[in-house]
Amino acid sequence: MSSPANDPQLNSEPEPKFSVRSLWKIFGKNADGIIGGEYERQDRDTVREATGCTVAVRDVSFDVLPGEIFVVMGLSGSGKSTLIRCLTRLIEPTAGSVVLDGTDIRECSPQELRELRRHKAAMVFQHFGLLPNRKIIDNVAYGLEVRGQGRAERHARAREMIEMVGLAGYEDSKPGQLSGGMQQRVGLARALAVDPEVLLFDEPFSALDPLIRRDMQQEVLRLQRELRKTAVFITHDLSEALKLGDRIAIMRDGELVQVGTAEELVGRPADDYVRDFVADVARTDVLTVRWLMRDPREGEPLDGPTAEPRTVVREIVPLLAEGTAPVRVMDGDRLLGVVGRTEVLRIIAEDQSDDGKLGTGPQPLADGAEA
Amino acid sequence: MATETTPRTAAGPDGGQDGLLHRTWIRVAAVFAVLIAGYGLLRGQMPFPDSLDVGLGALFDDVYAWIVENRNTSPLFLYGFNYASVGLGSAVILINQGLTLLTPLGVIVLGTFAAWRVAGAKVAAFTLATFAVFGLLGLWDQAMTTLSLIITSVLLALLIGIPLGIVAGRRPGFERALRPVLDFMQIMPAFAYLMPMLLLFGIGNPAAAVATTVYAIPPAVRITALAIRGVDKGALEAAESLGSTRRQILAKVQLPLAKRTIMLGVNQTIMLAVSMVVIASVIGAGGLGDAIYQALNKVDVGRAFEAGLAIVLMAIALDRITAAAGDEARGPHVPPALRRPLLIGGLLATAAAVVVGRLAGLADWPREVRISISDWVNAANTAVQDVFGGFTAWLAEATLNLLLDPLRSVLTDSPWWLVVLAAAALGLALGGWRIALVGGVSILACGLLGAWEESMDTLSQVVVAALATVVVGFAIGVLASRSDRLAAVLRPILDAMQTLPPFVYLIPAVALFGIGRIPALAAAVVYALPPVIRLVNDGIRGVSANTVEAAESLGSTRRQMLLKVQLPLARHSLLLAVNQGIMMVLAMVVIGALVGAGALGYGVVFGMAQNQLGLGMTSGLAIVCLGLFLDRLTQSAAR
Repeated sequence: MSSPANDPQLNSEPEPKFSVRSLWKIFGKNADGIIGGEYERQDRDTVREATGCTVAVRDVSFDVLPGEIFVVMGLSGSGKSTLIRCLTRLIEPTAGSVVLDGTDIRECSPQELRELRRHKAAMVFQHFGLLPNRKIIDNVAYGLEVRGQGRAERHARAREMIEMVGLAGYEDSKPGQLSGGMQQRVGLARALAVDPEVLLFDEPFSALDPLIRRDMQQEVLRLQRELRKTAVFITHDLSEALKLGDRIAIMRDGELVQVGTAEELVGRPADDYVRDFVADVARTDVLTVRWLMRDPREGEPLDGPTAEPRTVVREIVPLLAEGTAPVRVMDGDRLLGVVGRTEVLRIIAEDQSDDGKLGTGPQPLADGAEA
Repeated sequence: MATETTPRTAAGPDGGQDGLLHRTWIRVAAVFAVLIAGYGLLRGQMPFPDSLDVGLGALFDDVYAWIVENRNTSPLFLYGFNYASVGLGSAVILINQGLTLLTPLGVIVLGTFAAWRVAGAKVAAFTLATFAVFGLLGLWDQAMTTLSLIITSVLLALLIGIPLGIVAGRRPGFERALRPVLDFMQIMPAFAYLMPMLLLFGIGNPAAAVATTVYAIPPAVRITALAIRGVDKGALEAAESLGSTRRQILAKVQLPLAKRTIMLGVNQTIMLAVSMVVIASVIGAGGLGDAIYQALNKVDVGRAFEAGLAIVLMAIALDRITAAAGDEARGPHVPPALRRPLLIGGLLATAAAVVVGRLAGLADWPREVRISISDWVNAANTAVQDVFGGFTAWLAEATLNLLLDPLRSVLTDSPWWLVVLAAAALGLALGGWRIALVGGVSILACGLLGAWEESMDTLSQVVVAALATVVVGFAIGVLASRSDRLAAVLRPILDAMQTLPPFVYLIPAVALFGIGRIPALAAAVVYALPPVIRLVNDGIRGVSANTVEAAESLGSTRRQMLLKVQLPLARHSLLLAVNQGIMMVLAMVVIGALVGAGALGYGVVFGMAQNQLGLGMTSGLAIVCLGLFLDRLTQSAAR
């Protein structure tokens, strides 16, 4: 979860790693004519019927900060896989800009683009994309091989990566001899081998069964803690998004509907689409006390238990059950606010009602307190 | 592919599909009725007018005269074709000399070792037996000549075909441009382009090598392109995302992953080369094909059988070896560390065999170690003739009098314009205006080329043979689709039949029917049967099991199932079978000229034998026109 310390809204803006502005991808002939034309604002089906073109990504803008996992989540056909391919021009965008570390990728010559793919951004694919004729070690070393590294050197590095993803001993196997989960570890090792600054994940775990998926998610979080890479992660699985994403973008019909932390999506959905999406999420697991807290009321006892601002609601339920005094939210020695039984009960009640439409959802009471 | 398209047709209501089909067949029948009425009324009164002959034959004769005069002075020949001819000739001779240098013993050791290494012990034993047959039958030299020709042409075809295929696989635009050319090369009967080869390269091995190469290129291109396109898109994208250049993608991803499929193309290329190399004996290719050709000319069935047996064994051995070449698992298991020592060992054994062979004076296959089976074969043939001769003679007579002659008479004696119109009307009924135009024009072209009667003669033979093929092939195919046992028995037979060069089909046909049109037809029917049986069987078996189960649950009898469910749903495959069958029949009927079938094929053979370029070329072009007509017509029906 995002901590206030690197929350973009709160600190002086860190330079974004990736900066995407007004990105469009339209498939079909005369795709260029649509942007700025009469169909620019029409919905997908209308555009397809009138022009035969498919709008896959529509006017998308977002920033990815250094070291964060930025999750793009949407249902199939929402354009998320096209979007991630536009970031390194595996699919050529129709319009807009993608800036990586101050360089506009769309301006790159083929040579520069290749260098960027070889050194800066590596991708992990849903269906692994391994080369079945090569041994695991040569699959992992592929990125180093194409940029011209010597055999001994690249094998040493590949061995290291294979060990890191927990596949030591399988160096000389072929991909076909490995299970799906292991193959995806190879895919991950291959991406990490080139030591990229950005990792791009295209639904990497969708093809795996649930238990393995959970292992792999842990693996990504672990590697992320160790290596602090910037990552863009595509998924159609909300729980995966909530688990991995520092920030999450919800995509629908090629457009971004909402970008925010898990808490913001769950606590303050931008529209009914997002609300429906997060309806089944247990709020008590996602919302933190910072999100619920209010100023203490006149005469309220202030001797209750304390909690840090990032504590999730579930964890303070037992505290509130023990006594009547509200929980104090403390940042070190400073009192930020309190959370009482009423607020928590309201969240629990929302979780238990089907559609989460009790009232208009919790209001962030102290959102601007520190600003 | 049939299974994919058929469910869509099946989705439509029964009535619409049936009604349309009915109307199509009614229209086709009407076309024939009008043609026969016209024949009845105006029989023989309107032959194709000579004034419409565009004089292409004469033009070609002039060209021939010019070439003969200038072959040794014109730069086109001096620096072009002559060089190519000398180069190719030397390549064939060089390889042949190489094989001679190895001595029979060396060749046997090397060939058997290679077969074992690539395809395992069984194929190695078969290869050894094949070599033994070459020697024992006294056909060693001929076999080596044929092998040299095959090696030269295949290398050439792969050298041209694989790069073209790679480009086509990577650039869809290039492939689209190439496709019609390849289509054309494949529907063109082999016989049709022997003549131009002869003209450009002179009689002999170079012309044969070029003709064989041209014939063998299409599968090399097509299958390579298919293999490249079939490479897993995910692997390609991953390689691209890691910054591979196009060249790296080709070398490190596409080629390694496409290797197995490309080897299939190599196998196909070799098989086509084997069949063409035999046919090319009519333009002076030596070797086994020539031995068959000479024997057939003398109606020496025994001798033709010997050479035929040798080429059949060679074809099967080459097929088995190259089919296994793309697949590591088919060969013996050799640990990687032993691969190089093994290879060196094999080469040393070959060298030792050569030395031993030379020292023991075995530079050639020893004359004493020979068995001639031609007398036995001839004796057996006579015995068969005694028993079945009456029947075959009756069958031949009946076919001639009841089918072939009446049909030929309808086609040649009807007013020519009526036949052209009928061709166009058939095209219209089966495929629409474009096909009508193609059909009418290609039949008209046969006349304009000055080969009207011969074309109609050939057409009548094709129609009769195709009818027989379709009837027999469908019957066997349907039976095979309903009995797993029969299908299992048929499969290896069909496999073997499909590896045989078309030429050898003439040998048993001549044995049974003597010479003339009937043996050509018989050979054509047998030649075209395997793909027809296979497509019918696969088509019916490809019908969705769910549909069959549903029909069964509604209480269909087996007969109802076949007529109302399986055949209609397999329609696409069945029509494809008709198309394939007809094209193969055409190719064979033309070759049948070598056993006296006459017509267009005879024009080609006679033109080549007598240096009458005009006759040879116009006959060849007329064959192409007929091929175009038949292919487009049956293909549009299959759509």
